[in-house]
Amino acid sequence: MKHSFLDQYSQGNSLIHRLDPRTKLITTLFFILVVVLTPISRWQAFALYFVLVATLIIISRVPPLYVLRRSLAIIPFVVLIAIFIPFFKEGEVAGSYNIWMWQVTVTYSGLQVFLNILAKAWLSILSLILLTATTRFSHLLKGLEQLRLPRVMVMILSFMYRYIFVLVDEVMRMKQARDSRNLGGGRLRQLRTVGNMIGTLFIRSYERGERVYAAMMARGFDGQARTLEKPSFSQRDALFALTLGLVLILVVVANLWY
Amino acid sequence: MHIPDGFLNVATVAATCAVSAGGIGGAVKMVGRKLGEKQVPLMGILAAFIFAAQMLNFPVAGGTSGHVIGAALAAILLGPWAAVLIMSCVLIAQSLIFQDGGLLALGANIFNMGIVASFSAYYIYRLVTWLAGANRRGTLIGGFAAAWGSVFLASIFCAIELALSGSSPFGVVLPAMAGVHALIGIGEGLITGAVLGLVLATRADLLQLQRI
Repeated sequence: MKHSFLDQYSQGNSLIHRLDPRTKLITTLFFILVVVLTPISRWQAFALYFVLVATLIIISRVPPLYVLRRSLAIIPFVVLIAIFIPFFKEGEVAGSYNIWMWQVTVTYSGLQVFLNILAKAWLSILSLILLTATTRFSHLLKGLEQLRLPRVMVMILSFMYRYIFVLVDEVMRMKQARDSRNLGGGRLRQLRTVGNMIGTLFIRSYERGERVYAAMMARGFDGQARTLEKPSFSQRDALFALTLGLVLILVVVANLWY
Repeated sequence: MHIPDGFLNVATVAATCAVSAGGIGGAVKMVGRKLGEKQVPLMGILAAFIFAAQMLNFPVAGGTSGHVIGAALAAILLGPWAAVLIMSCVLIAQSLIFQDGGLLALGANIFNMGIVASFSAYYIYRLVTWLAGANRRGTLIGGFAAAWGSVFLASIFCAIELALSGSSPFGVVLPAMAGVHALIGIGEGLITGAVLGLVLATRADLLQLQRI
């Protein structure tokens, strides 16, 4: 039942942890927006963004190595989508290769765009990791609800979060059962086994959903979720949002002028 | 197929966010009307189910492995609107918890893997089962075709969004994405077929649920 990959470190206590989830959500969104809008040639700006995120990570007392490891784990997927960029831009040719039937050329401007997009994606990922590593998922959902995400959606998400742990346990047990029976056979047979596992998981999940609903009805569920916690927007939040916002706006202005 | 932040330009982000917000709004309304307050635990647990099902890897080619997206499965079993709701929750959680797919790109990802994949899967399934008959064979073929089509179409929309944002030229990213996902879709199709086969054999009544 302990799956720390979900929101490890979010129970910590630091300036960043104590901020209102709304503050963190909005500043993260704003940060990503500014990063994405930065023109390609502004390497100084990207360095500044990095310093900004790094400072916040250090303030939050989340181990930097953990953040780095997690962010690097996602980069291969980013590269997979970005892989076509360097080959097909016009401009000065950096190298030409012959792969099977295709004659491909890498251009300098293509490489620049490629690195640029990679940097943008990485910075956004860092800020998202910081957000989830310093905010409990339940708080995050509360923040999203206050920011007008449909209430039903928030409730479904909180249910989902609760049952992810249960179902992941279920998947782990099924995997163990499969591996201990030493599944061999060809690819098709393995696909079939995975299909059967998912099918079993679906039936069990559906039945669990019905049981949970019956239990909730028995306890008087009427479609509303009530919680005691009420995060509040304090002076600290205003100060944090203002400082970060000002720094980012200054960078944007500097980008436009120089 | 999860698009990270940094790939889409502002126009594409705004457009896809608007369409996805509308889609989610419609899904919330439709599912709420048909299921009432029962939707909350059921949709929540089934979203967790899709999330957990994505942890089951299967071998693809050359030592790599893949996992299902699950939109087709959700759409066939529960209907397209319910699938949109479930996939949106899965994608939001993936973006926030695993940083799999960006925050600004969430609109585009929900559009591709939620709205496009769910609706295409549902209607392909309906079409095939209507053509092949509502028997076991029809269900399995329909499941395969629906899952393959949903992955293929979602990847095409993904490529269009990337191309419109100027991240990659259209003539390259479209055939590349579509080609790769035409292969990945086979895995999704076979697994979806196997899942439907099992459900049909053990709890066939679950295939007769009211679809939303």
